[in-house]
Amino acid sequence: MPNLIYVLFRRLRSPLITLILVYAISMIGFVLIPGVDDQGKPWHMSFFHAFYFVSFMGTTIGFGEVPYAFTDAQRFWVMLTMYATVVAWLYCIGVLLSVFQDASFQRMLRANAFRRQVKHIREPFYIICGYGDTGAQLTHAISEEGILCVVIDINQDRINELEADDFRTFPISLCADVSLSQVLEDAGITHPWCKGIITLVNEDTVNLTVAVTAELLNPELRLISRAETPEAAANILSFGANEVINPFETFASRLALAIKSPSLYCLYEWMTSPKGMPLKEPPLPKKGLWILCGFGRFGHTIYEHLNVIEGITPRVIESERSVRDLPAASIIGRPTEASALLKAGVKDSVGIIAGTDNDANNLSIIMTAQELNHTLFRIARQNHEKNSHLFQSAHLEMLMQRGTIISNTIFAFIKTPMLSDFLHIVSRFNNDKANELLSRIIAVVYDGVPELWEICINQDKTPALYEVIKKQQVMLKEIIYGNSIADTKRARMTALPLFLKRGKGNVLLPEENRIVQENDRFLMCGTNEARQKMLLLLNNINLLESVLSGKEVPASWVYKKIRELSTN
Amino acid sequence: MNSEKVIFAFFIVLALTLNFGFFLGGMDDPSHHNIYEFFAAIVVSLISTVLKVGDRTHLGAVFLATSLVADLQLLAAAVVWGFVSHVYGQELQGHALATVISLSGGALLANFISVILLVVDTMTVKR
Repeated sequence: MPNLIYVLFRRLRSPLITLILVYAISMIGFVLIPGVDDQGKPWHMSFFHAFYFVSFMGTTIGFGEVPYAFTDAQRFWVMLTMYATVVAWLYCIGVLLSVFQDASFQRMLRANAFRRQVKHIREPFYIICGYGDTGAQLTHAISEEGILCVVIDINQDRINELEADDFRTFPISLCADVSLSQVLEDAGITHPWCKGIITLVNEDTVNLTVAVTAELLNPELRLISRAETPEAAANILSFGANEVINPFETFASRLALAIKSPSLYCLYEWMTSPKGMPLKEPPLPKKGLWILCGFGRFGHTIYEHLNVIEGITPRVIESERSVRDLPAASIIGRPTEASALLKAGVKDSVGIIAGTDNDANNLSIIMTAQELNHTLFRIARQNHEKNSHLFQSAHLEMLMQRGTIISNTIFAFIKTPMLSDFLHIVSRFNNDKANELLSRIIAVVYDGVPELWEICINQDKTPALYEVIKKQQVMLKEIIYGNSIADTKRARMTALPLFLKRGKGNVLLPEENRIVQENDRFLMCGTNEARQKMLLLLNNINLLESVLSGKEVPASWVYKKIRELSTN
Repeated sequence: MNSEKVIFAFFIVLALTLNFGFFLGGMDDPSHHNIYEFFAAIVVSLISTVLKVGDRTHLGAVFLATSLVADLQLLAAAVVWGFVSHVYGQELQGHALATVISLSGGALLANFISVILLVVDTMTVKR
């Protein structure tokens, strides 16, 4: 705010001085010019009357000639000063209006309002840098959960887009350059309520700058970043980032997983799917000859991942002859044309990956290939969010949407921070073990993807349980079976504890008979209903006690007394 | 030579000298205190305030503060003067005159501090 006042006054300096001078000269004139009073005696206006007269003349209010009618000499002076004062006022107001309409001044006004809004946040929030396809999806998902976001983008058009969108929790937004540390500071990177910063800018260097700034200003902060190249990813990780997501790498490893271990693929997909998605049969890509169209960053990553799988031969079609590191036996030609596809052996291949950076070409590749071989497993890369509809109607076996991959993964990590550690451990599972885990998860969900949630045993998050475990031992199964335990017929397990963090130790799939301790953190999995029930149970001491003891506990003091009297 | 600096210094010093000129004289003798000089002191003081606004340095802030004090004192004196001579319809003398002069004396002190700051600022500038 002080900045604004300084700028305002600096711009208003000359109009204000003009105004003061014009007033002073006019007043001196009226005081010096002799007049006559109502009896015709000579009379001089005092400064008091002069200021009174000039004030209402200059502001065009015009009460008339007070206190006595003017002489002609005075009227001459009025004629001059009337115009001078009005012009001085117009000059002042004109400059004032132009300052307020000035683009840079308005930017300062907005930045000021933004800073003030951020300063007054009293709830957990995330900073999101970049509001492109990915940023928009992620912001929507987070705000749907009722969590506040602070969004920064360098492009005003995107901020306008955000302001036009609908949100459950409306984000605070600003058009600014996130590579400036001042901007991040204004966005609340050191704010006590800031939970984390997510940087999704298109340029890796900017993401890196944000990572460095975050590390220096607030090393405790959770940082999730997007990176397009493995080098940048490694670099950002070295600056203390908790999570770096490379969309190409993520998709390629998922594809490799789908081929190697469909169960693990399913696990990953379910855990990072948005809420309420239906459970889908996993796609079953076969081993054999795969045709890979386009050898850019995406093609390259896919090739690296497929090439190491036994029984898979990736063959590249690339239209640019100048592309480096092209593998042997690659075909140079346009993948949209049947001749190139035939040359690559489309008739004997099991799958096709359309991975160029042009959506129309990718669709065309898929169509042409399908005509030549209708048993193909089709995978396409979608570059732009606006083409979603087209790709949906193509009914592909797998679709690579950069924005969706990043936003889903980040959202899952934000909602359940323990998930990344869990997935890390699970990724080393073999197919049989993954299958077993998968069937246990299926047992606790109905038809949608499993809901994941975390519970932390402390006074703040789970006050009821915290009270109880101080008095008696509580086993994990008692909180899992929840309030359906009384009804033994329905005592079906509705939640599965996936992961336990106790101190520095990690326990995968903690057993039901484990005693719950203070500061335990559990990652749970189940239906949304089970989640609601469990949270209710852990927060309501009466409910929890009645579940643990198996009988109704009176809540009010009067009933407690009656119960005591009747038992004695 | 910087013309902005000249104008700035000119107004600050002029505010002091006019103020001093008005203040000088007997506390009980209205003929020692010229109303035109008083008017000029107010106008110059206002102009020097506007000149000082917008300087974001620490020194600039102190300049502005002293100038605002001078304005406040002088305007208060003007209001007292106007009230006595127009609302009560009395000649300015005795207690009222002493009030006006002592208020302008306060403004004089503030203007004096301004000038000291100006001198200090000028001396510390490295050539």
